[in-house]
Amino acid sequence: MTRADTCGSEHCITCGDDGVAMHVVRVDEARGLALCEHEDGARETVETALVDPVAPGDVLLVHAGTALTRLEPVA
Amino acid sequence: MKFVDEFRDAELGRAVATQIMSLVEPGRHYKLMEVCGGHTHSIYKYGIDDLLPANVELVHGPGCPVCVIPMGRVDDGIAVAHEEGVIFTCFGDMMRVPGSDGSLLDAKAAGADIRMVYSPLDALRIAKQNPDRDVVFFAIGFETTAPSTALTLKRARAEGVRNFSVMCSHVTIVPPLRALLESPDLRLDGFIGPGHVSTVVGARPFEFIPADYGKPVVIAGFEPLDILQAIEMILKQLADGKCEVENQYKRVVPYEGNLRALEVMAEVFELRPHFEWRGLGFISHSGLKLSERYADLDAEVRFSVPGVRVADPKACQCGEVLKGVIKPWECKVFGTACTPERPIGTCMVSSEGACAAYYNFGRFAREREVV
Repeated sequence: MTRADTCGSEHCITCGDDGVAMHVVRVDEARGLALCEHEDGARETVETALVDPVAPGDVLLVHAGTALTRLEPVA
Repeated sequence: MKFVDEFRDAELGRAVATQIMSLVEPGRHYKLMEVCGGHTHSIYKYGIDDLLPANVELVHGPGCPVCVIPMGRVDDGIAVAHEEGVIFTCFGDMMRVPGSDGSLLDAKAAGADIRMVYSPLDALRIAKQNPDRDVVFFAIGFETTAPSTALTLKRARAEGVRNFSVMCSHVTIVPPLRALLESPDLRLDGFIGPGHVSTVVGARPFEFIPADYGKPVVIAGFEPLDILQAIEMILKQLADGKCEVENQYKRVVPYEGNLRALEVMAEVFELRPHFEWRGLGFISHSGLKLSERYADLDAEVRFSVPGVRVADPKACQCGEVLKGVIKPWECKVFGTACTPERPIGTCMVSSEGACAAYYNFGRFAREREVV
Protein backbone atom coordinates (compact mmCIF):
# COMPACT_ATOMS: atom_id res chain seq x y z
CA MET A 1 0.00 0.00 0.00
CA THR A 2 1.32 3.45 -0.80
CA ARG A 3 0.55 6.69 0.94
CA ALA A 4 -1.57 7.73 -2.03
CA ASP A 5 -4.00 4.93 -1.22
CA THR A 6 -4.60 6.40 2.18
CA CYS A 7 -5.41 9.90 0.94
CA GLY A 8 -9.15 10.28 0.87
CA SER A 9 -11.00 13.49 0.25
CA GLU A 10 -11.33 13.99 3.98
CA HIS A 11 -7.70 14.08 4.94
CA CYS A 12 -4.28 13.30 3.61
CA ILE A 13 -1.71 12.51 6.23
CA THR A 14 1.25 14.09 4.52
CA CYS A 15 -0.11 16.48 1.93
CA GLY A 16 -1.94 18.19 4.75
CA ASP A 17 1.36 18.69 6.60
CA ASP A 18 0.15 16.47 9.38
CA GLY A 19 2.49 14.66 11.73
CA VAL A 20 2.17 10.91 11.65
CA ALA A 21 3.40 8.24 14.08
CA MET A 22 5.51 5.54 12.39
CA HIS A 23 7.56 2.69 13.79
CA VAL A 24 11.07 1.91 12.65
CA VAL A 25 11.44 -1.31 10.65
CA ARG A 26 15.07 -1.09 9.50
CA VAL A 27 17.88 1.39 10.02
CA ASP A 28 20.48 2.52 7.47
CA GLU A 29 22.87 4.11 9.94
CA ALA A 30 25.49 5.09 7.35
CA ARG A 31 23.00 7.17 5.35
CA GLY A 32 21.00 8.50 8.32
CA LEU A 33 17.79 6.93 7.04
CA ALA A 34 15.27 4.45 8.38
CA LEU A 35 12.52 2.43 6.76
CA CYS A 36 9.40 3.18 8.78
CA GLU A 37 5.90 1.79 8.74
CA HIS A 38 2.61 3.51 9.44
CA GLU A 39 -0.18 1.75 11.29
CA ASP A 40 -2.01 1.20 7.98
CA GLY A 41 0.98 -0.66 6.51
CA ALA A 42 2.32 2.18 4.36
CA ARG A 43 6.12 2.28 4.38
CA GLU A 44 8.36 5.25 3.86
CA THR A 45 12.06 6.11 3.99
CA VAL A 46 12.51 8.57 6.81
CA GLU A 47 15.32 11.01 7.55
CA THR A 48 16.48 10.39 11.14
CA ALA A 49 19.21 13.02 11.61
CA LEU A 50 17.13 14.99 14.14
CA VAL A 51 16.43 12.03 16.44
CA ASP A 52 19.40 9.68 15.98
CA PRO A 53 20.20 7.08 17.16
CA VAL A 54 17.08 5.06 16.31
CA ALA A 55 16.48 1.33 16.53
CA PRO A 56 13.87 -1.03 15.04
CA GLY A 57 10.66 -0.78 17.05
CA ASP A 58 11.11 2.90 17.99
CA VAL A 59 8.06 5.05 17.30
CA LEU A 60 8.78 8.38 15.60
CA LEU A 61 6.71 11.46 14.80
CA VAL A 62 7.27 12.01 11.08
CA HIS A 63 6.58 15.22 9.16
CA ALA A 64 7.25 15.35 5.43
CA GLY A 65 9.61 12.40 5.56
CA THR A 66 11.64 13.62 8.53
CA ALA A 67 11.37 12.34 12.10
CA LEU A 68 10.96 15.35 14.38
CA THR A 69 10.83 13.54 17.68
CA ARG A 70 10.58 10.17 19.33
CA LEU A 71 7.20 9.20 20.78
CA GLU A 72 7.33 7.58 24.18
CA PRO A 73 4.64 5.11 25.26
CA VAL A 74 1.94 6.72 27.38
CA ALA A 75 2.37 5.50 30.97
CA MET B 1 -3.57 2.34 18.66
CA LYS B 2 -1.08 3.38 21.31
CA PHE B 3 -0.67 7.17 21.66
CA VAL B 4 -4.10 7.69 20.07
CA ASP B 5 -6.90 5.68 21.70
CA GLU B 6 -6.14 7.04 25.15
CA PHE B 7 -6.84 10.53 23.83
CA ARG B 8 -10.19 9.70 22.23
CA ASP B 9 -11.92 8.38 25.35
CA ALA B 10 -15.51 9.66 25.27
CA GLU B 11 -16.03 9.35 29.03
CA LEU B 12 -12.96 11.44 29.79
CA GLY B 13 -14.00 13.90 27.08
CA ARG B 14 -17.36 14.47 28.76
CA ALA B 15 -15.62 14.93 32.11
CA VAL B 16 -13.33 17.63 30.69
CA ALA B 17 -16.32 19.27 28.96
CA THR B 18 -18.10 19.43 32.34
CA GLN B 19 -15.00 20.98 33.86
CA ILE B 20 -14.97 23.57 31.06
CA MET B 21 -18.62 24.42 31.80
CA SER B 22 -17.74 25.09 35.42
CA LEU B 23 -14.90 27.45 34.47
CA VAL B 24 -16.78 29.87 32.21
CA GLU B 25 -18.18 33.05 33.64
CA PRO B 26 -21.83 33.49 32.60
CA GLY B 27 -22.26 36.54 30.39
CA ARG B 28 -18.60 36.65 29.34
CA HIS B 29 -17.72 35.76 25.75
CA TYR B 30 -14.46 33.88 25.25
CA LYS B 31 -12.66 33.91 21.91
CA LEU B 32 -9.85 31.37 21.65
CA MET B 33 -7.73 30.95 18.53
CA GLU B 34 -6.41 27.57 17.46
CA VAL B 35 -3.31 28.57 15.56
CA CYS B 36 -2.70 25.32 13.72
CA GLY B 37 -4.70 23.93 10.81
CA GLY B 38 -4.30 20.45 12.26
CA HIS B 39 -6.30 21.60 15.28
CA THR B 40 -8.99 23.12 13.06
CA HIS B 41 -9.33 19.79 11.30
CA SER B 42 -9.61 17.83 14.56
CA ILE B 43 -12.11 20.27 16.06
CA TYR B 44 -14.58 19.75 13.21
CA LYS B 45 -13.82 16.10 12.67
CA TYR B 46 -14.64 15.28 16.29
CA GLY B 47 -17.28 17.96 16.85
CA ILE B 48 -15.34 19.43 19.75
CA ASP B 49 -17.09 22.78 19.47
CA ASP B 50 -20.40 21.02 20.19
CA LEU B 51 -19.06 20.10 23.63
CA LEU B 52 -18.31 23.70 24.49
CA PRO B 53 -20.60 26.28 26.09
CA ALA B 54 -22.00 28.76 23.56
CA ASN B 55 -19.95 31.61 24.99
CA VAL B 56 -16.68 29.84 24.18
CA GLU B 57 -15.91 30.56 20.54
CA LEU B 58 -13.07 28.96 18.61
CA VAL B 59 -11.42 31.16 15.98
CA HIS B 60 -9.34 29.53 13.27
CA GLY B 61 -5.84 30.88 12.89
CA PRO B 62 -3.37 31.17 10.02
CA GLY B 63 -1.56 27.87 10.63
CA CYS B 64 -2.45 25.98 7.49
CA PRO B 65 0.64 25.92 5.26
CA VAL B 66 -1.31 25.82 2.01
CA CYS B 67 -3.91 28.44 2.96
CA VAL B 68 -1.38 31.21 3.46
CA ILE B 69 0.31 30.89 0.06
CA PRO B 70 -0.60 33.93 -2.10
CA MET B 71 -1.68 33.58 -5.73
CA GLY B 72 1.46 35.26 -7.04
CA ARG B 73 3.61 32.57 -5.48
CA VAL B 74 1.57 29.87 -7.26
CA ASP B 75 2.08 31.77 -10.53
CA ASP B 76 5.83 31.86 -9.84
CA GLY B 77 5.83 28.10 -9.30
CA ILE B 78 3.95 27.51 -12.54
CA ALA B 79 6.42 29.72 -14.44
CA VAL B 80 9.34 27.63 -13.15
CA ALA B 81 7.47 24.39 -13.93
CA HIS B 82 7.16 25.50 -17.56
CA GLU B 83 10.93 26.05 -17.91
CA GLU B 84 12.64 23.74 -20.37
CA GLY B 85 13.79 20.45 -18.83
CA VAL B 86 12.26 21.05 -15.40
CA ILE B 87 10.52 18.44 -13.27
CA PHE B 88 8.56 20.44 -10.70
CA THR B 89 7.68 18.64 -7.47
CA CYS B 90 5.38 19.64 -4.61
CA PHE B 91 3.04 18.30 -1.94
CA GLY B 92 -0.35 17.14 -3.19
CA ASP B 93 -2.44 19.91 -1.63
CA MET B 94 -0.28 22.57 -3.23
CA MET B 95 -1.19 21.32 -6.71
CA ARG B 96 -4.80 22.41 -6.32
CA VAL B 97 -4.16 25.95 -5.04
CA PRO B 98 -5.48 28.39 -7.64
CA GLY B 99 -3.08 30.90 -9.17
CA SER B 100 -4.24 33.83 -11.28
CA ASP B 101 -4.43 31.57 -14.36
CA GLY B 102 -5.10 28.10 -13.01
CA SER B 103 -3.37 25.76 -10.58
CA LEU B 104 -0.28 23.57 -10.82
CA LEU B 105 -2.66 20.73 -11.62
CA ASP B 106 -3.95 22.73 -14.61
CA ALA B 107 -0.37 23.42 -15.67
CA LYS B 108 0.34 19.67 -15.44
CA ALA B 109 -2.67 19.00 -17.67
CA ALA B 110 -1.28 21.56 -20.10
CA GLY B 111 1.95 19.58 -20.41
CA ALA B 112 4.29 20.74 -17.63
CA ASP B 113 6.08 17.90 -15.81
CA ILE B 114 4.71 18.42 -12.31
CA ARG B 115 4.81 15.56 -9.83
CA MET B 116 3.35 15.11 -6.38
CA VAL B 117 5.77 14.03 -3.66
CA TYR B 118 5.32 13.17 0.00
CA SER B 119 8.64 14.59 1.11
CA PRO B 120 11.60 16.58 -0.22
CA LEU B 121 13.56 13.34 0.03
CA ASP B 122 11.25 11.93 -2.69
CA ALA B 123 12.06 14.96 -4.86
CA LEU B 124 15.78 14.35 -4.37
CA ARG B 125 15.28 10.73 -5.39
CA ILE B 126 13.59 11.89 -8.62
CA ALA B 127 16.60 14.14 -9.26
CA LYS B 128 18.99 11.22 -8.88
CA GLN B 129 16.85 9.10 -11.21
CA ASN B 130 16.76 11.88 -13.84
CA PRO B 131 20.29 13.33 -14.04
CA ASP B 132 19.57 15.07 -17.35
CA ARG B 133 16.61 17.03 -15.93
CA ASP B 134 16.38 19.91 -13.43
CA VAL B 135 14.26 18.87 -10.46
CA VAL B 136 12.74 21.68 -8.41
CA PHE B 137 11.01 21.13 -5.05
CA PHE B 138 8.38 23.72 -4.14
CA ALA B 139 8.92 23.91 -0.38
CA ILE B 140 6.00 25.11 1.71
CA GLY B 141 5.06 24.89 5.35
CA PHE B 142 5.97 26.13 8.78
CA GLU B 143 8.74 24.92 11.09
CA THR B 144 7.32 21.38 10.85
CA THR B 145 8.40 20.87 7.23
CA ALA B 146 11.29 23.37 7.04
CA PRO B 147 13.76 21.00 8.81
CA SER B 148 12.90 18.33 6.25
CA THR B 149 13.76 20.68 3.38
CA ALA B 150 16.95 21.79 5.14
CA LEU B 151 18.14 18.21 5.70
CA THR B 152 17.40 17.31 2.08
CA LEU B 153 19.43 20.27 0.85
CA LYS B 154 22.33 19.17 3.05
CA ARG B 155 21.98 15.66 1.68
CA ALA B 156 21.92 16.95 -1.93
CA ARG B 157 25.13 18.87 -1.21
CA ALA B 158 26.80 15.87 0.47
CA GLU B 159 25.84 13.51 -2.34
CA GLY B 160 26.83 15.99 -5.05
CA VAL B 161 23.38 16.10 -6.68
CA ARG B 162 23.57 19.18 -8.88
CA ASN B 163 20.27 18.92 -10.75
CA PHE B 164 18.19 19.53 -7.61
CA SER B 165 17.00 22.89 -6.31
CA VAL B 166 14.39 24.29 -3.93
CA MET B 167 11.89 27.09 -4.46
CA CYS B 168 11.57 28.09 -0.84
CA SER B 169 8.20 29.34 0.41
CA HIS B 170 8.62 28.26 4.02
CA VAL B 171 7.14 30.55 6.63
CA THR B 172 7.51 30.96 10.37
CA ILE B 173 4.68 31.01 12.88
CA VAL B 174 5.54 33.82 15.26
CA PRO B 175 5.40 36.89 12.94
CA PRO B 176 1.79 36.27 11.76
CA LEU B 177 0.71 35.76 15.38
CA ARG B 178 2.21 39.10 16.29
CA ALA B 179 0.48 40.66 13.26
CA LEU B 180 -2.85 39.19 14.37
CA LEU B 181 -2.36 40.44 17.93
CA GLU B 182 -1.71 43.92 16.53
CA SER B 183 -4.83 43.73 14.35
CA PRO B 184 -7.50 46.16 15.55
CA ASP B 185 -10.45 44.06 14.35
CA LEU B 186 -9.67 40.97 16.39
CA ARG B 187 -10.04 40.55 20.14
CA LEU B 188 -8.79 37.22 21.44
CA ASP B 189 -8.70 35.81 24.97
CA GLY B 190 -6.16 33.04 24.46
CA PHE B 191 -4.36 30.73 22.07
CA ILE B 192 -4.27 26.98 21.53
CA GLY B 193 -0.61 26.77 20.53
CA PRO B 194 0.60 24.64 17.60
CA GLY B 195 1.69 21.17 18.68
CA HIS B 196 4.12 20.00 16.05
CA VAL B 197 5.64 23.38 15.23
CA SER B 198 6.51 23.50 18.92
CA THR B 199 8.22 20.12 18.64
CA VAL B 200 10.78 21.99 16.56
CA VAL B 201 10.81 25.54 17.99
CA GLY B 202 9.82 24.68 21.56
CA ALA B 203 7.53 26.72 23.78
CA ARG B 204 9.82 29.69 24.38
CA PRO B 205 9.02 31.59 21.13
CA PHE B 206 5.41 31.98 22.33
CA GLU B 207 6.33 33.64 25.62
CA PHE B 208 5.89 37.08 24.03
CA ILE B 209 2.12 36.48 23.84
CA PRO B 210 1.52 36.49 27.63
CA ALA B 211 4.43 38.91 28.24
CA ASP B 212 3.56 41.57 25.65
CA TYR B 213 -0.15 41.02 25.02
CA GLY B 214 -1.42 39.46 28.26
CA LYS B 215 -2.97 36.36 26.62
CA PRO B 216 -2.50 32.77 27.78
CA VAL B 217 -1.10 30.14 25.40
CA VAL B 218 -1.49 26.39 25.83
CA ILE B 219 0.44 24.19 23.38
CA ALA B 220 -1.80 21.25 22.52
CA GLY B 221 -1.81 17.86 20.84
CA PHE B 222 -4.21 16.91 18.07
CA GLU B 223 -6.49 14.30 19.63
CA PRO B 224 -9.91 15.40 20.94
CA LEU B 225 -8.90 15.11 24.59
CA ASP B 226 -5.74 17.13 23.94
CA ILE B 227 -7.75 20.01 22.51
CA LEU B 228 -10.45 19.88 25.18
CA GLN B 229 -7.84 19.84 27.93
CA ALA B 230 -5.99 22.77 26.34
CA ILE B 231 -9.25 24.77 26.29
CA GLU B 232 -9.80 23.89 29.94
CA MET B 233 -6.25 24.99 30.80
CA ILE B 234 -6.72 28.35 29.02
CA LEU B 235 -10.05 28.95 30.79
CA LYS B 236 -8.47 27.98 34.11
CA GLN B 237 -5.71 30.53 33.58
CA LEU B 238 -8.30 33.18 32.75
CA ALA B 239 -10.41 32.25 35.80
CA ASP B 240 -7.34 32.39 38.07
CA GLY B 241 -6.14 35.66 36.57
CA LYS B 242 -2.97 33.96 35.31
CA CYS B 243 -1.28 34.38 31.96
CA GLU B 244 1.52 32.13 30.79
CA VAL B 245 2.66 29.55 28.24
CA GLU B 246 1.67 26.04 29.27
CA ASN B 247 2.49 22.79 27.52
CA GLN B 248 -0.39 20.32 27.36
CA TYR B 249 1.49 18.22 24.76
CA LYS B 250 4.45 17.30 26.98
CA ARG B 251 4.49 13.74 25.68
CA VAL B 252 5.76 15.11 22.36
CA VAL B 253 6.88 18.73 22.81
CA PRO B 254 10.04 19.52 24.80
CA TYR B 255 10.01 23.10 26.13
CA GLU B 256 13.30 23.82 24.32
CA GLY B 257 12.23 22.25 21.01
CA ASN B 258 14.55 20.20 18.82
CA LEU B 259 17.96 21.89 18.94
CA ARG B 260 19.35 19.83 16.06
CA ALA B 261 16.45 20.96 13.86
CA LEU B 262 16.98 24.60 14.82
CA GLU B 263 20.69 24.32 14.04
CA VAL B 264 20.16 22.83 10.59
CA MET B 265 17.51 25.44 9.78
CA ALA B 266 19.86 28.24 10.87
CA GLU B 267 22.55 26.84 8.58
CA VAL B 268 20.39 26.41 5.49
CA PHE B 269 17.88 29.26 5.72
CA GLU B 270 17.82 32.95 6.40
CA LEU B 271 14.86 35.27 6.97
CA ARG B 272 13.45 37.22 4.05
CA PRO B 273 12.94 40.92 4.80
CA HIS B 274 9.25 40.51 3.86
CA PHE B 275 6.99 37.71 2.72
CA GLU B 276 3.45 37.98 1.39
CA TRP B 277 0.74 36.00 3.20
CA ARG B 278 -2.60 35.35 1.65
CA GLY B 279 -5.13 37.66 3.25
CA LEU B 280 -2.63 39.06 5.72
CA GLY B 281 -0.42 40.98 3.28
CA PHE B 282 3.33 41.45 3.68
CA ILE B 283 4.72 40.50 7.08
CA SER B 284 8.32 41.36 8.00
CA HIS B 285 10.77 38.53 8.65
CA SER B 286 8.07 35.90 8.29
CA GLY B 287 9.41 33.89 5.34
CA LEU B 288 12.54 31.84 4.81
CA LYS B 289 14.91 31.79 1.85
CA LEU B 290 18.02 29.74 1.25
CA SER B 291 21.16 31.18 2.81
CA GLU B 292 24.15 32.34 0.74
CA ARG B 293 25.88 29.02 1.40
CA TYR B 294 23.06 27.20 -0.40
CA ALA B 295 22.44 29.76 -3.16
CA ASP B 296 23.56 27.24 -5.81
CA LEU B 297 20.60 25.04 -4.83
CA ASP B 298 18.13 27.94 -4.83
CA ALA B 299 15.59 27.65 -7.67
CA GLU B 300 14.98 31.40 -7.47
CA VAL B 301 18.65 31.98 -8.33
CA ARG B 302 18.77 29.23 -10.94
CA PHE B 303 15.59 30.18 -12.80
CA SER B 304 13.85 33.38 -13.68
CA VAL B 305 11.00 33.84 -11.20
CA PRO B 306 8.53 36.57 -12.18
CA GLY B 307 7.72 37.53 -8.57
CA VAL B 308 4.48 39.27 -9.52
CA ARG B 309 1.97 40.22 -6.89
CA VAL B 310 -1.59 39.17 -7.67
CA ALA B 311 -4.57 40.45 -5.71
CA ASP B 312 -6.86 37.78 -4.25
CA PRO B 313 -10.13 37.24 -6.14
CA LYS B 314 -12.74 39.79 -5.04
CA ALA B 315 -15.34 37.16 -4.16
CA CYS B 316 -12.93 35.27 -1.91
CA GLN B 317 -12.81 36.16 1.77
CA CYS B 318 -9.94 33.86 2.79
CA GLY B 319 -8.15 36.80 4.39
CA GLU B 320 -11.01 37.45 6.79
CA VAL B 321 -11.32 33.73 7.52
CA LEU B 322 -7.56 33.49 8.20
CA LYS B 323 -7.80 36.42 10.60
CA GLY B 324 -10.83 34.86 12.28
CA VAL B 325 -12.96 37.90 11.46
CA ILE B 326 -15.64 35.81 9.75
CA LYS B 327 -16.60 32.14 9.95
CA PRO B 328 -16.04 30.14 6.75
CA TRP B 329 -19.76 29.77 6.05
CA GLU B 330 -20.17 33.56 6.20
CA CYS B 331 -18.06 33.92 3.03
CA LYS B 332 -20.19 34.79 0.00
CA VAL B 333 -18.91 31.92 -2.12
CA PHE B 334 -18.63 29.20 0.56
CA GLY B 335 -20.11 25.91 -0.64
CA THR B 336 -21.46 27.44 -3.85
CA ALA B 337 -18.83 28.80 -6.20
CA CYS B 338 -16.06 27.61 -3.86
CA THR B 339 -15.93 23.93 -2.89
CA PRO B 340 -13.05 21.49 -2.19
CA GLU B 341 -13.48 20.13 -5.73
CA ARG B 342 -13.29 23.60 -7.32
CA PRO B 343 -11.69 25.93 -4.78
CA ILE B 344 -11.49 29.66 -5.33
CA GLY B 345 -9.68 30.35 -2.09
CA THR B 346 -6.84 28.45 -0.45
CA CYS B 347 -8.81 27.77 2.77
CA MET B 348 -11.00 25.41 0.76
CA VAL B 349 -8.03 23.47 -0.66
CA SER B 350 -6.25 21.76 2.19
CA SER B 351 -7.99 19.46 4.63
CA GLU B 352 -6.43 21.70 7.29
CA GLY B 353 -8.08 24.78 5.82
CA ALA B 354 -10.92 26.15 7.90
CA CYS B 355 -13.36 26.27 4.95
CA ALA B 356 -12.62 22.70 3.87
CA ALA B 357 -12.96 21.49 7.47
CA TYR B 358 -16.37 23.18 7.77
CA TYR B 359 -17.46 21.92 4.37
CA ASN B 360 -16.27 18.32 4.79
CA PHE B 361 -17.86 17.91 8.20
CA GLY B 362 -21.19 19.54 7.37
CA ARG B 363 -20.67 22.73 9.38
CA PHE B 364 -22.50 25.00 7.00
CA ALA B 365 -23.94 27.13 9.77
CA ARG B 366 -24.70 26.63 13.37
CA GLU B 367 -26.51 28.17 16.28
CA ARG B 368 -25.89 27.03 19.80
CA GLU B 369 -27.98 27.50 22.84
CA VAL B 370 -26.62 29.88 25.42
CA VAL B 371 -26.10 28.12 28.74
